[in-house]
Amino acid sequence: MSSDRPLTDAASPHPPASQLPPPQPEPPVRADPLGFSVEVPDPFRPPLRDQPDPTASQPELLQQEDAAESRAVAVGEPSAEFAGNAIRTAKYSALTFLPRNLFEQFRRLSYLYFLAITVLNQLPQVAVFGRGASALPLAFVLLVTAVKDAYEDLRRHRSDRAENNRLAAVLSAPPAAAEFAPRKWKHLRVGDVVRVESSETLPADMVLLATSDATGVAHVQTVNLDGETNLKTRYARQETQLRFSRDGGVGGVLHCERPNRNIYGFQANLEIDGKRVSLGPSNIVLRGCELKNTAWAIGVVVYAGKDTKVMLNNSGPPSKRSRLETQLNRETVILSIMLIGMCTTASVLAGIWVLNHRGELEFTQFFREKDYTTGKNYNYYGIGMQIFITFLMAVIVYQVIIPISLYISMEMVRLGQAYFMGADLDLYDKSSSSKFHCRALNINEDLGQIKYVFSDKTGTLTENKMVFQCASVHGVDYSSAKDTSGYSVVVDDLLFTPKMAVRTDPQLLKMLRNGGSDEEAKLVLDFFLALAACNTIVPLVLDTKDPRQKLIDYQGESPDEQALAYAAASYGIVLVERTSGYVMIDVLGDRQRFDILGLHEFDSDRKRMSVIIGCPDKTVKLYVKGADSSMFGITNKELDNVLATKAHLHKYSSLGLRTLVVGMRELSQPEFLDWQSAYENASTSVLGRGNLLRSVATNIEGNIHILGATGIEDKLQDGVPEAIESLRQAGMKVWILTGDKQETAISIGYSCKLLTNDMTQIVINNSSKESCKKSLEEALATTKELRVASSVGTLNPESSGVILALIVDGNSLVYILETELQEELFKVATECSVVLCCRMAPLQKAGVVALIKNRTDDMTLAIGDGANDVSMIQMADVGVGISGQEGGQAVMASDFSMGQFRFLVPLLLVHGHWNYQRMGYMILYNFYKNATFVLVLFWYVLYTSFTLTTAINEWSSLLYTVLYTSLPTIVVGILDKDLSKSTLLAYPKLYGTGQRNEKYNVNLFVLNMLEALWQSLVVFYIPYFAYRQSTIDMSSLGDLWALASVIIVNMQLAMDIFRWNWIIHAFVWGTIAATAICLFVIDSIWFLPGYGAIFHVMGTGLFWLLLLIIIVAAMVPHFVIKAFTEHFNPSDSQIAREMEKFGALNQVNRAEIPMRTVS
Amino acid sequence: MDRDAAGTSDAGSRAGGDASAAIRRRNTRRPKYSKFTQQELPACKPILTPKLVVSLFFGVGIVFVSLGLVALLAAHNVVEIVERYDDACVPPTNIDNKIGYIQDVTVPKDCIRILTVTKDMKQPIFVYYQLDSFYQNHRRNKTCNFRYVLSRNDAQLRDPKNANHTTSCDPEKMANGKPIIPCGLIAWSLFNDTYSFSRGNETLTVDKKGISWKSDREHKFGQNVYPSNFQNGALIGGKMLNASIPLSEQEDLIVWMRTAALPTFRKLYGKIHVDLKVKDKIIVKLINNYNTYSFGGKKTLILSTATWLGGKNYFLGYAYLVVGGLCIFLGFAFSLLYTIKPRKLGDQTTCPGTTKI
Repeated sequence: MSSDRPLTDAASPHPPASQLPPPQPEPPVRADPLGFSVEVPDPFRPPLRDQPDPTASQPELLQQEDAAESRAVAVGEPSAEFAGNAIRTAKYSALTFLPRNLFEQFRRLSYLYFLAITVLNQLPQVAVFGRGASALPLAFVLLVTAVKDAYEDLRRHRSDRAENNRLAAVLSAPPAAAEFAPRKWKHLRVGDVVRVESSETLPADMVLLATSDATGVAHVQTVNLDGETNLKTRYARQETQLRFSRDGGVGGVLHCERPNRNIYGFQANLEIDGKRVSLGPSNIVLRGCELKNTAWAIGVVVYAGKDTKVMLNNSGPPSKRSRLETQLNRETVILSIMLIGMCTTASVLAGIWVLNHRGELEFTQFFREKDYTTGKNYNYYGIGMQIFITFLMAVIVYQVIIPISLYISMEMVRLGQAYFMGADLDLYDKSSSSKFHCRALNINEDLGQIKYVFSDKTGTLTENKMVFQCASVHGVDYSSAKDTSGYSVVVDDLLFTPKMAVRTDPQLLKMLRNGGSDEEAKLVLDFFLALAACNTIVPLVLDTKDPRQKLIDYQGESPDEQALAYAAASYGIVLVERTSGYVMIDVLGDRQRFDILGLHEFDSDRKRMSVIIGCPDKTVKLYVKGADSSMFGITNKELDNVLATKAHLHKYSSLGLRTLVVGMRELSQPEFLDWQSAYENASTSVLGRGNLLRSVATNIEGNIHILGATGIEDKLQDGVPEAIESLRQAGMKVWILTGDKQETAISIGYSCKLLTNDMTQIVINNSSKESCKKSLEEALATTKELRVASSVGTLNPESSGVILALIVDGNSLVYILETELQEELFKVATECSVVLCCRMAPLQKAGVVALIKNRTDDMTLAIGDGANDVSMIQMADVGVGISGQEGGQAVMASDFSMGQFRFLVPLLLVHGHWNYQRMGYMILYNFYKNATFVLVLFWYVLYTSFTLTTAINEWSSLLYTVLYTSLPTIVVGILDKDLSKSTLLAYPKLYGTGQRNEKYNVNLFVLNMLEALWQSLVVFYIPYFAYRQSTIDMSSLGDLWALASVIIVNMQLAMDIFRWNWIIHAFVWGTIAATAICLFVIDSIWFLPGYGAIFHVMGTGLFWLLLLIIIVAAMVPHFVIKAFTEHFNPSDSQIAREMEKFGALNQVNRAEIPMRTVS
Repeated sequence: MDRDAAGTSDAGSRAGGDASAAIRRRNTRRPKYSKFTQQELPACKPILTPKLVVSLFFGVGIVFVSLGLVALLAAHNVVEIVERYDDACVPPTNIDNKIGYIQDVTVPKDCIRILTVTKDMKQPIFVYYQLDSFYQNHRRNKTCNFRYVLSRNDAQLRDPKNANHTTSCDPEKMANGKPIIPCGLIAWSLFNDTYSFSRGNETLTVDKKGISWKSDREHKFGQNVYPSNFQNGALIGGKMLNASIPLSEQEDLIVWMRTAALPTFRKLYGKIHVDLKVKDKIIVKLINNYNTYSFGGKKTLILSTATWLGGKNYFLGYAYLVVGGLCIFLGFAFSLLYTIKPRKLGDQTTCPGTTKI
């Protein structure tokens, strides 16, 4: 009878229910028989449209939409109407590079400022410096950036070209012979029929027409798209499959929605042979996926090139700006105001001076208003114009107060920091031999200010390797698995070995092999048969180097099922072959055929799956496996067994294992026949098939005998719990955003020590907006209550032991994100110290990141490895990609990439801390040093009757920012370390420096400006008073001012350097020497006014005495502030530094440091 | 300030040393180990310990106070005679119209001043003139290149071949269609008061050789560049130059062209190689030509000895005393603070409230 009934009925007009998206109005469920399914509604669309119902209302829906909303594709007739398949990720072409790149660069406000200054300097009336010289710095900055951009774009061009020139087999257009000929990807058109072979990459988004499988099944791997490495099943509709096998071609017109970026949604219908066939997400295969396990597949291109979903989702990394750079804009504004103030003062005073001396100017030698050869006054513009022009000149002279060199310095410092991060052996992953890479060069310092870490789970925290750990069979716990005795099957002299060996429990193995007939051994056998048969695993036979040895690779959508199948194989129950009608299982060396009579897929209501199997001994058995919550409701009354199993399950899950319960029931003949007729009725019914099948399943799945339970370890990567603990001690909140289901997420939360038993869990898992609102309000009330309760006892709520954990389900987030409920979620989430979000769609991950990013000033970091993490990586302030795994999408989108999750600790705590500290200091210092110089210039103007003379040589003015003072800050910005690596790792709380903005804030800026003011006064006025009424000439005094300024700003830097190694020594002192040498050189040029001045002035004792007192008087306030704060108001870093220096660090036992959690 | 080369770097080199060679062969992507790449270069970590702070303050304070005393002493030893003569040399009849007086070429400008020596003065005695409110650093923005401070052409001054180089000399470029040598406003405005000194009947000769910088004479002003067409314009700004003397020997011009940094400045006029005794009466015959009356500038004649520290200026000494005193005060203040609020360095527990480690 139906013993050879195929799993899918090829003759049926519809694929069986298991292969269709559920027709019920619920989000599409990615079929996953085990229950680890991911429901993926489009998070940002109204719920109604998430529920495509391909069988019923959807075609009508599509038709109602106007023509602009859909596109019509004639199958087999390429149309030029839509975008071709050529892609272009490069930003520029050779022609557009210059204008576009310049446009992009000038979006930086400060560049516009520098441009304005340069233009201003070209005007003859106001020119102060040489025209060319003034344009040089800006030109240099622009050039460097342009070269960098050009190089990056060139790489993109190359990869585009490679991608566009790949070949695909395309069915020739109708007039030619119907055969598949290779064509370049870029020449593909919408409407082309393309044939893809196994392991080939799909060139465009295609609707499947036919596959090598008679039932129209094709497997694709979507790792490039959503990060999941398991296979997904896609279907060709029977109508097209049949038509293709008959005619070798498919006609018809396909109507589909316009290109959109939802990778889980697709609605279309195909008019073929006068019928309208509806198509859903399971009928489309997307560009970038790979065809697997299917010899060939044929599809029609519906979206090509830039319209494909992968390209639409590939928005390109948004250009991120570091926090410091954003804050820097505020200081730039303050400095601009200062600049305007100084220029106004100078020009107004100049105007007043001219007014006051108006009558005298005619004969004043140094002014000489009149031109006596013509008898006219010089082209005198009038006081107003005079003031205006003086103002513009002043802007040019004082413009350095906003340092253009800062931008160059920052780029170079980041380059250096990136080099050292890449070279750090602590960030090098041996197992995947992947180095740390800085992909974005402009946010290094953000690594030191992170407050939120959003982590993906699969592949990031875990290795995405499920390993069977322990089993409880019939109330007996077998969890002492030790040896990995791989089990192999011999068939026709060929040795079949499962690809992965699982550690086996010797007792269980012994019982299985020797027991033979007794009742217990039979139960054990049934247990493993259930593991081997009750799944949708496809065994693949792989060749090895030895021709007599074959490897069995279990492929399937669920990694848990794979783990179970491998486990069964290790115990000797090897699944060897699966067809649609039966499975071949090698039972302890005896190859047996089990007919699959029926299969009830997993669904989210039942939370279990079952198969009905015809055994070789003619009995019919029902094997069920599912989550414990769903299984214990349908057991028979064997209480002892159930209780023991429950106890074991508790034990397993507290170990962080993923648990499943396995059960069986032997079906009697009448029972089976009843079921069979009901099942067939249900499978062939047209309306409500899913509901009918579900009720059939529910009816038969009852009175189950519990065989046992399994515990599968979702292997964590090395050092994950420790890393998370460090991050949390460092004051970061770690959120896990996973596509996995709630239970799994929680168990991972436990195993990586994020969740502990003393936490209060708040779960939000609702399926309507109202209920979401209600549970959010309740949660908010709970947090408030606990806060009040705890604050009564102590000031610190954490110490009272109430720690909240929030678990949110992706389904609920559909109703929360982008609605007014967001605010509430935000409030709840920030009260909780742990947040787990499960069943998240890629865009929801980004939504959650945005929730925090848009509402707080806190820096966010997202870390992930898969393409589904791309959106979150791009959304977060800092995106980190895990490299070394398959699929480079996350790495491509990331700002930093590295091999392991645990590297986050050295990356943030050590390099992040250093980078932030160095960069913050460098920016402040650059402001300070230029302000000092500009103020010195400004004071002089008060003694030149407010004309903008600079005593300091104009070459020195230019070199001041470029050479005299810039190199030491760059070197210090790259090399200085406030604390050693070991200290920073031992005391994660030192990371708080960055989170509290301790190294760069308005107060520090003001302090720096005050120091600049004081030092400029000292530099200017001490020589001024000493040389008043003397023969001092302008150049000599200018040289003294220049040298003194350079020395004191370098002294200031020297006082703030934490660690002096020889490189820093060389640069700081070398720069001062270089300045002196430059002054010598400039004063050796005979046509400059300063010829000989430095030699002359250095020959006087007064010069040296002045230099000495300037340095000391200028540095005293800084020294006093430093000595005072370091001793009487020390920062954490200061104390840690002292501990380092005086050896206290080594004596402190690390265990004695209280490990308090930080919120 | 000891070194921290030990500790971390030792462990690092061991780990890197034996393992790295093998691994590197297998795997070229592994970053190479070196103290530089791992940022483990030996380094000095200065920390401001109380001892260091206090001793620095006291050390600097003591040195500065002593230097201040030395500087004060030096300034004190300088003898300076200052005589302002701009108003005094205008005849009482012209006191209401000083400008008219100074511009009237027919009126003789001779003037006699008598100075009394207040203290013995050892030769050489430097003769300076001091101008007040004269902005030799002026930079006007009337036209493109017209700036007093730059109104000169160094190429023309240096080489006779460059006689026509008058760029940037506006408005004193050309006169009567010929280039002016030396061109420019600075040269044009050359100071032209003259002084001659006598003590009783003894004429005190003023040595005007070597009053300018040697470097200027030798390299900036040409030995065969002669003044020509100078002060031939409609308005005479200052001194005439003897057209037969090359620029390199026109030391008054050279001194004048070394533009002063500040609006009140002195220029060296000459040197007197005679010792002067206290209460000596010096008769100064001066010709009061230079017009500072139009802008209210003062003119002063100064006779001064010099020390290693320059002229008579007490500022430096006082500045050193103040800074030194401040340092000593801070030394005491910090000693007091450290005693009142001691803190054990590197001890987390002694720092209440702030320790967040």
